[in-house]
Amino acid sequence: MNGVRQRNASAWLLPNDGTRTNHQLRRDMRHFDLNETVDAVVVGCGAGGAVLTQRLARRGWRVVALDAGPFWDPDRDWVSDEAGSHQLYWNEPRVISGADPIPLGSNNSGRGVGGSMVHFAGYVPRFHPSDFRTYSNDGVGADWPIEYNDLKRYYELLEAELPVAGQRWPWGDPHSYPQSPHPIAGNGMAFVRGCQAMNIDVRIGPVAITNGRFGNRPHCIYRGFCLQGCKVNAKASPLITHVPDALAQGAEIRPDCMVSRIEIDRNRAATGVTYFHQGQEYHQRARVVVVAAYSIETPRLLLNSTSSAFPNGLCNEFDQVGRYVMVQGAPQTAGRYSEEIRAYKAPPPEASSEAFYETDPTKDYKRGFSLQCISPLPIVYAEHVVAQGHWGGVLREYMRDFVHWATFGALCELLPQAKNRITLDSEVDRHGLPIAHFSYSLCDNDRALMKAARQVMEDMHRAAGAEEAITIDRYAHLIGGCRMSSNEQDGVVDSNLRSFAVPNLFVVDGSVLPTQGSANPALTIMALAARAADYLDKVETHR
Amino acid sequence: MGKTPGSAEPRFPGFDVTEQSPHWDATTTAVVFRRLQPAGTPVFFDGAEEGAVRALLDRLLAQDDEPRVDVFAVIDQRLAQRRGDGYRYADLPDDPEAWRQSIAGLEADAMLQFGRDFSSLAKQQQINLIETVRTHEGQWRGLPAKRVFSLWMRYACDAFYAHPLVWNEIGFGGPAYPRGYKNIGLDRREPWEVAENDAEDPVPWSSRADAAKRHHSGHLSPSASGGRAG
Repeated sequence: MNGVRQRNASAWLLPNDGTRTNHQLRRDMRHFDLNETVDAVVVGCGAGGAVLTQRLARRGWRVVALDAGPFWDPDRDWVSDEAGSHQLYWNEPRVISGADPIPLGSNNSGRGVGGSMVHFAGYVPRFHPSDFRTYSNDGVGADWPIEYNDLKRYYELLEAELPVAGQRWPWGDPHSYPQSPHPIAGNGMAFVRGCQAMNIDVRIGPVAITNGRFGNRPHCIYRGFCLQGCKVNAKASPLITHVPDALAQGAEIRPDCMVSRIEIDRNRAATGVTYFHQGQEYHQRARVVVVAAYSIETPRLLLNSTSSAFPNGLCNEFDQVGRYVMVQGAPQTAGRYSEEIRAYKAPPPEASSEAFYETDPTKDYKRGFSLQCISPLPIVYAEHVVAQGHWGGVLREYMRDFVHWATFGALCELLPQAKNRITLDSEVDRHGLPIAHFSYSLCDNDRALMKAARQVMEDMHRAAGAEEAITIDRYAHLIGGCRMSSNEQDGVVDSNLRSFAVPNLFVVDGSVLPTQGSANPALTIMALAARAADYLDKVETHR
Repeated sequence: MGKTPGSAEPRFPGFDVTEQSPHWDATTTAVVFRRLQPAGTPVFFDGAEEGAVRALLDRLLAQDDEPRVDVFAVIDQRLAQRRGDGYRYADLPDDPEAWRQSIAGLEADAMLQFGRDFSSLAKQQQINLIETVRTHEGQWRGLPAKRVFSLWMRYACDAFYAHPLVWNEIGFGGPAYPRGYKNIGLDRREPWEVAENDAEDPVPWSSRADAAKRHHSGHLSPSASGGRAG
């Protein structure tokens, strides 16, 4: 842990009096003039944008980060309640279609400073080395233009900054974590029991939840509302892991600013961004423009930024913007135990297994899945019951039995497909901007993986002694849409996340990932942002 | 008012999650207690629609007797405020319009089959009409049937399982900040959590689930399956 405070003092900049926001730091925030050309403007202040902003500010860059949502105060804005957390999600209109349309909003789309990590569960596994070469190894997906070793150092830095708690990790590139594993509760115990009964290797973690005091962040209180925003400041999100340090280092963060277009000059260089704030239109000039608005809003912004040089959208000369958007197949299986599980106690993320992560040559599908325990609260758990076809009195009876059910989840690696994409819809939002249309359809490999994962989870429950197991097919996480590649015909940005078309335009978020493995993407997005900041500081001049 | 919805004997006798509210933060307490306030007059649904929507919601959630959780008022407000979930299926209108059209469709089905309003039908007739929508393949009254049923359930469950009376029914501990939990693990309870009444009513899970399924599909009269095992 030594050394974290020297390079990122965020945890020490938070209050230690039981409140969760350093209001003085926000009041004292530097403000740049709109007429000033800053070194970088960053669109989106989540896993990618916030880490990049903090890193660049540390190096003396004059950075303005814009976010469409609010500058959250966990004390004032967040509640220990499922239905009351609606405002954490991106609820602006979007259209979904395809053979397997993907519901958005609460499941995968954040808003506000901190981004989707405000409501992510907290699992922060690394990608495996094999994830970077799926095409070479297995003939599916795509090879990344970088390798695991290009990210390894950044994984280590961020695991210390979040920090991550968990047992030593035996899968992928084996590694240990800075904090020891959390104790597990009923749901985690059922999961571990199921794995052990099936001889599946299992470990506690890895979760970005403090196990012990870290700076001024307290120990987790096992409250169970990780997905509703952590009011404790125990679960990591950029709001508390990178934004405080960014402010202290002179970055400006402007909340409630919806960027409508990226401006381009006649030399095809980006000059800044136009945005709406409280109904007024503003323009921020910058030497470097960074888009970090995630897999749906990043492509939407580029597609909406048309000009005579880019009539089909910025960086879209090869029709790559918005393509290869991925989700993970995330079937969840609940099992009924005679013991009381009371899964709402303790964080939903507790234990996981990556025993099925890699391609198994004996199977008729490529790539694999990870297994994790998750603990849906009542409203989401009711979806599990309804998915069985139960409603009315049967729904009520299953729900009355809530305390007896433990839930396991899988993350299946679904393959990138060009036709799974973001386009612009004819409908416009309240700013008059065309909204995103997300079309998604599974392929045969995807379906085979989800079926296999579901079977393993149902077997685990029965092996652990469950009387009944029920599965809901669902999806998790967003990735892709502006992928990195070795050439401009196959992607939008290069290995340094610089766009092929506009030399001073970068994309630094989950949309650049060419594949997504079976790992939750947050840590990898942060690691890519930290790497991009090193690159930017090396090659781009500032001031 | 009882501590759980309806007149059935509670599974967690005496459990009242609101007794924990002194240990909740003020922001959460305000949000939760607002749900216990009486509802105002409807703003989205008109008088003709209201009866059908209330009947539909009562059947979706099996709210057959008092006290009821007024999910109608929550949904009416939500639709009026156009508070969506951040997506719309390309083959379905936006949520408020989909609700209106589907309620009109349900009324049309009731009129066609029974010559009466949906709200005036017998419970089992209402259940059968709803089940027809749920199991219908393809388009139903110009809307994709499965998405319609899913929309109804999503809104109904979002409102119902947010209510403290319903948390009492399922034994859920509710808000937990800044108190947190100290007794985690299998078969471990906080001092204030209540044991279920299994000891007095040792009906195995599978029998309870089967009885509920038989009752729902009309094979048992309500009186034969009411109460604890129902």
